[in-house]
Amino acid sequence: MPRKPTGHRRLLPVRPLTFSPFARSVARVATAYMVKHHMRDAMQQSPGDEFKKLKKVDRRSESSEDEEFHGVVQADFAFFDPKPDDFHGVKTLLQSYLDDKQWDLSGFVDLILEQTTVGTVVKLEDDEDNGVFSIITALNLGRYKDHKCFTELKEFLLNICPEKDKTGNLRSLLGDKAQDVGLLVSQRVVNLPPELLPHLYDALFDEISWATEDEPTEELRNSFRFKFYIVVSKIYKLKNANKKRSSSTDKDDALIYIKPEEEILHRLSMWSVLFPLQTQQVATHELKNYQLTGIVMAVKAEDISSFRQQLRTLINES
Amino acid sequence: MATRLQFENSCEVGVFSKLTNAYCLVAIGGSENFYSAFESELADVIPVVKTSISGTRIIGRLCAGNKNGLLVPHNTTDQELQHLRNSLPDQVVVQRIDEKLSALGNCIACNDHVALTHTDLDKETEEIITDVLGVEVFRQTIAGNILVGSYCAFSNRGGLVHPHTSVEDLDELSTLLQVPLVAGTINRGSEVIAAGMTVNDWTAFCGSDTTATELSVIESVFKLREAQPTAIVDEMRKSLIDSYV
Repeated sequence: MPRKPTGHRRLLPVRPLTFSPFARSVARVATAYMVKHHMRDAMQQSPGDEFKKLKKVDRRSESSEDEEFHGVVQADFAFFDPKPDDFHGVKTLLQSYLDDKQWDLSGFVDLILEQTTVGTVVKLEDDEDNGVFSIITALNLGRYKDHKCFTELKEFLLNICPEKDKTGNLRSLLGDKAQDVGLLVSQRVVNLPPELLPHLYDALFDEISWATEDEPTEELRNSFRFKFYIVVSKIYKLKNANKKRSSSTDKDDALIYIKPEEEILHRLSMWSVLFPLQTQQVATHELKNYQLTGIVMAVKAEDISSFRQQLRTLINES
Repeated sequence: MATRLQFENSCEVGVFSKLTNAYCLVAIGGSENFYSAFESELADVIPVVKTSISGTRIIGRLCAGNKNGLLVPHNTTDQELQHLRNSLPDQVVVQRIDEKLSALGNCIACNDHVALTHTDLDKETEEIITDVLGVEVFRQTIAGNILVGSYCAFSNRGGLVHPHTSVEDLDELSTLLQVPLVAGTINRGSEVIAAGMTVNDWTAFCGSDTTATELSVIESVFKLREAQPTAIVDEMRKSLIDSYV
């Protein structure tokens, strides 16, 4: 049975990030997935395992031909550890991570792919194209602070935040508290089925807790004992939010989250800052009153278990 | 000499620019760094023209040209066409063609003497290519891909093709094109050669992800190390028959 659209949030246009014929078919069925998931393999013990599996099977599907679209597409997504081969896929996903700033994105992607103990890449099983559908990872700000990409990232964040009172918080998290801060990087194709999200985040936070025990050196183990997470992302903000609109009958949400989990993170966050973006957004009819805005938020590590629970509830009820 | 650069964080330099022996087209909207990289290499020798095609920045993939002419797709606006005609040298014929495969840069790969085209190109288009660009046209595939304009880049001195091209195909293409060819990659293993780089007889521009190995292959196959622009631009001599594979 088709998923019920839940309010404004589901009106976002579905645009495939890649151009393979498969991605186009998946874009067309973005609202019609049915899911049966199996629990992750019980046998997985340590982060060193090859991959974790989440089978996503659609019972009604017929395999679609290249351009003809008859029904629902069957897709088996699998979770993999990051590998150097994933460079191009991950780089494409993170292309607009820091808006249009020219920075060492290749170096940043290299660091993500080198950290095989924490981090997950979502790909299709047995896909020859090796297309990356999603990347999620957490990078310790202190561990990588000397890399060019991180200095550029810090510079970007400190420069774009317009509110003076929040920059103090941001500066301390990026500066002296950097050893305890994890940069939570999560990016995916727009039409990735949301049923995967709780598993994706569970996988990440489980790997982080395993890494605090399994990493070979004391220093590395400590680097995963995060006290805070920073998230850099984009959301839609209602334009002219302060303008009195007595004639408006429909209640427009003040903020629309492209990724559903960010609403929960925003609620739980210690603080957040919105900043303007330089890149132009594609204007669609449903979003004509909204402006694409950047957001930086910090979440305490203690709130993560509550986040995981709320995410599970949110996805299961939609 | 080969230069590494980026267009707004993208290493696909061949998408946003088009380089020939008589002119260079660059997309508008990129940072000034992109434009000035081309200017510093080429300013004294050939004009560097900022343009858009059909309002987009992907000009390298939409147009095809060489020193004799430039072909642009049917959706190029009149202003863009006029701007190109005004800015390019007089001997370069700019022609807008009605071809349903409008991404001409993906369908046509050419140097000043030979062109490889998509197998499904119109007969009429093929004739226009022969007239305007002054080349001999061959319908070919490269490693099984029909988008020949995307998977190979060649100049009058050498060429780089898709890494999975077989030795027999390399031989055949080398004979057709009369230049040495090498199968290789660009931008750290990307197979879409023409999207990642743009080249003429004396210089090449590659994406910044290109490794040192890839760059040295490019410099050797396109013979960029000893190349001097004036010697080539002044006297366009016929390329020597030199096929090694």
